[in-house]
Amino acid sequence: MVISHEFDYRRPSSLEDAIGALAEFPGSAWILAGGTDLVAWLRDDAVAPDLVVDIKDVPGLADIALDDRTLSIGSLVTFTDLIESDLIADHAPLLAEMAETVGSTGIRNRATLVGNICSAVPSCDAGPVLLAYDAAVHLAGPAGERTVDINDWFVGLRQTARSDDEVVTRVTIDVRSHGGIYVKLMRYAGEDLAQAAVAIVVRPDHDFRVAFGAVAPTPFRSARIEDALRGKALDAALVGRVVALVADEISPITDMRASAEYRTRMTEVMLDRGLWAAVGRLSGEGLRYGERVI
Amino acid sequence: MTATYPFEAESPTGDLATVGTPAVRVDGVEKISGAAQFVDDIDFGPGLLYAAIVESPHAYARIVSIDTAEAEQASGVVRIATGKDFPYKFGMYMEDRYIFAQDYVRFVGEQVAGVIARSHREAVRAAKLIKVEYDLLTPLLDPRSAVAEGADLIHPDLAAYTHVPWFFPEADTNIAHWRRIRKGDTEQAFADADLVLEDTYEVPRYAHCAIEPHVTVSRLDPAGRLTVWTASQSPHTQRHLFAQALAPLGFTHKDVRVITPYVGGGFGGKAGVSMEILGAAMATLVKGRPVKLRWTREQEFYNTYQRQGVVAELKVGVMNDGTITAVEHKLYWDAGAYVEYGANVVNAAGLSATGPYRVPNITNDSLCVYTNLPPGGPYRGFGYSEFHFGLESHMDRIAEAIGMDPVKFRKKNAIVEGDELAYGAHMNPSGLHEAIDKTAAAIGWGIEERSDNPNTVIGKGIALFWKAPAMPPNASSASFLKFNEDGSVNIAVSGMELGQGYLTVMAQIASEVLSVPVDKIRVETPDTDRNPYEWQTVASHVTWSSGLAVEKAALEARSKIFDVIHQVYGFEDDSLYLEDEAVRCKTDPSFSKPLRDFVIDGIQTDDGTWRGGPIVASGKFMPEFTNANSDPATGQGGHPNVHYTVGATGVVLEIDKATGRIWVRKAALAVDAGRAINPDLVKGQITGGLVQGLATVLFEDMRFDEGGRMMNPTFTDYKIPTAFDIPDEIIPIIVEVPQPDGPFGARGVGEHTMIAAAPVIANAVYHALGVRITSMPITQEKVAMSYLATTMSEGNQEE
Repeated sequence: MVISHEFDYRRPSSLEDAIGALAEFPGSAWILAGGTDLVAWLRDDAVAPDLVVDIKDVPGLADIALDDRTLSIGSLVTFTDLIESDLIADHAPLLAEMAETVGSTGIRNRATLVGNICSAVPSCDAGPVLLAYDAAVHLAGPAGERTVDINDWFVGLRQTARSDDEVVTRVTIDVRSHGGIYVKLMRYAGEDLAQAAVAIVVRPDHDFRVAFGAVAPTPFRSARIEDALRGKALDAALVGRVVALVADEISPITDMRASAEYRTRMTEVMLDRGLWAAVGRLSGEGLRYGERVI
Repeated sequence: MTATYPFEAESPTGDLATVGTPAVRVDGVEKISGAAQFVDDIDFGPGLLYAAIVESPHAYARIVSIDTAEAEQASGVVRIATGKDFPYKFGMYMEDRYIFAQDYVRFVGEQVAGVIARSHREAVRAAKLIKVEYDLLTPLLDPRSAVAEGADLIHPDLAAYTHVPWFFPEADTNIAHWRRIRKGDTEQAFADADLVLEDTYEVPRYAHCAIEPHVTVSRLDPAGRLTVWTASQSPHTQRHLFAQALAPLGFTHKDVRVITPYVGGGFGGKAGVSMEILGAAMATLVKGRPVKLRWTREQEFYNTYQRQGVVAELKVGVMNDGTITAVEHKLYWDAGAYVEYGANVVNAAGLSATGPYRVPNITNDSLCVYTNLPPGGPYRGFGYSEFHFGLESHMDRIAEAIGMDPVKFRKKNAIVEGDELAYGAHMNPSGLHEAIDKTAAAIGWGIEERSDNPNTVIGKGIALFWKAPAMPPNASSASFLKFNEDGSVNIAVSGMELGQGYLTVMAQIASEVLSVPVDKIRVETPDTDRNPYEWQTVASHVTWSSGLAVEKAALEARSKIFDVIHQVYGFEDDSLYLEDEAVRCKTDPSFSKPLRDFVIDGIQTDDGTWRGGPIVASGKFMPEFTNANSDPATGQGGHPNVHYTVGATGVVLEIDKATGRIWVRKAALAVDAGRAINPDLVKGQITGGLVQGLATVLFEDMRFDEGGRMMNPTFTDYKIPTAFDIPDEIIPIIVEVPQPDGPFGARGVGEHTMIAAAPVIANAVYHALGVRITSMPITQEKVAMSYLATTMSEGNQEE
């Protein structure tokens, strides 16, 4: 593997220095955390930055912490960290279930949750799950800190609400009681990008969050499906009604990975099976986290 | 037929000591300790230069101009090469390739120019500065349109190309070779048949996906000797082709040396010569400096040999009692831009496209068609995997159509020793019936299984396979053997250890003859200057052919050992035998002379003088009963194949009806190894081949866009199985009906284990869902959407 063009590389040891470095090269600086996307893009000449800012020495970004009901996940937390964390297992098991489907062990050891939503490809696994968790994205920039609701984060194909001079420091989620599931369509059981994905979180009052991945330019939540489900006990008729909404809600493409027809059909199957499993988990019955419905 | 091996077990019990045992691999410690070296591991010092290649972005175009001026000025550039530097043709069976493109490019990725620079980075950077102007032509991407009337000629000079005598190019067409078989009267047989079933099956291209990409380091030393280190299955064939192609520069075979260390997987992709010629040629431009050329994973996909795609039109006639009376098999091969190797795949398939069945009336047409896709070439199975998909799918459909159990139907028609083959020669001994029975039993054939999961159904399938080595009729092997002071042995051969265990098997064969334990025998990877000739490590032939050469060398050494004993002690040679590293005598049980006492120093006689000396030997094997001369119109008259290896594969699978996901719960494969010289290694071949074959049917899916560019040359989108994607259980079954001319009765098994994997899945999917899929791959999407279409049309009919 060879990266044939030149760029500067810096590894600041403070958040301020990282932000300062980004400001020096407006629009042509890239942040390096795990690098699993960035390095591949560099090799393929898909991006040609003048500066790469490696944030791995910035203190405090690698923490997973719980403060009352708010779980905070730093921007250097890897998918492997999520899988191995007791806090995640106890309070946000859906994140671990999702993390186990990302890439391979080697990728998960480097790739970060935050990097995944910053790359913001339509199939990013973290997107639907963070949407279903109503996460908040915390950024730091020259003007100070701000928070972006995850629902406002994905603004277009591979585009986010982050400004070029901002660093994502962490994401936070509310971890009150819930059941949930991440269902991912892959071409085989080994590592794969999502061909379609459904994330569901259900709270004890049967308040549902239903998010989709890889079936639109960005991950998104379906208000129509959530509204139809809100406050109701699941039965076959209700599930049938919301599954019938799927085809209108999603806008999948046909590419070499899957046809739009298959993506649509599978999203319906995944929502059907996923709803039952999520409600089962809320009540502590049914499939354990990590057990798959497709 | 009675087995008449050159050497029979001669221990007092008559048992073989080493052959037939799971001896530990001789390369095991090297591999697990990291001592084993691959080409990229070898340190060539600070003088090493790196090459990068400029590739055509177009599938078919005329080169108008190549501007290298800017690249020549770039940092680190030492030399730039283009087609003008090497206007030489080369090729394995047909000389239709150039080292660098000359006037035309014929596939996306074809090499147009090369940069040699001081670093890899500088080479890649400079390659991007070379400007090539093209005049675009319309590519031909489908073999059936390429054979249509009036199609552009991809190789207008085809008729003038040099090729082996068993190829029959059709001048002024895109058909580089047309293998015809005509036996009996197919038309009459179809007219008389109770049932004729006809359909078309499609098999796309596939990539080998060896873990080690192609890599070569070449150095022309100041005295004019060209040494090439390559990751190759074919060191001697490479030397020969390098010497031939570069002969205009003054090279002879003596001047060219190929060194092949361990190889990280070949599967046919490292047979013959592909990118290695670029390295060898470019090194001649920078005398004294080694040049490394290493393919990226992407290049590994689109600019090495690919397994050829095929469209197979198949027609089979059968009587109501299940007797197959006629087969007509027309195979249109998408052979790619250059067919110098791939045309022989087409030939091999054409000779054997009836499968392992007794068929009295045969019409086979196997057409090697030029297209503007990457060159086709050898891939484990060599055409047989491709045509077995349709053939073995078809056999199930015929059995169903006449109301016969598919296993019973196959057994009724399965070929047996002495049956006449498509080209008139006769079938060798085989355990096909035993393989069918054992496979069927292993998967519980005939026993209905139901899933507890309402979303899934269970299906079973069975398919047979056969394959003969596809080789020139005189492809040969040779070996050298020498003893050391302690009675240990070195063997020099030129077959390649590709992971299959070749070196271990050679050691086992010599061990059996010489009574020297395997761990006292060293067999290493070759250097063409030191090791004797081997054609190639392909065709599943090295256990058989190289094994015979090693057996003969060991027998020669044994004979020389006995001569020394005879000279000194007077025992007749035929009273002597070897046991536990010593010479023993049948007529004098008290006699025992350890080998280590004399295999170097000889034996001192009563008068103080010495007899004997270092024991060295050689052996060679070339089949002397084969010939490739046959009537071009009928294929009759020759004896092109040495023998066939046969077997059967069965699976039990579970399918999610909604998603199409397939879990292979159990897979059984029985192969007739003749004699399993190392049963563990045979089981390894069964497991590896089956998994590779299942990958081609379940996951791998090579895609090209309308411009002929491969869209998925990465593992992101070209899927090969992980540990999560293999069968829950694999049952390897070894059948042993000896091959009379094989070493201890052995024949090859390497390729055969993947051949029936695709049709067995197709048959089991049909059994589970009632959906017949006639194109590969059978992905979960294809299964789900086909099943959905079936259930929807059934629903409509009910309404």
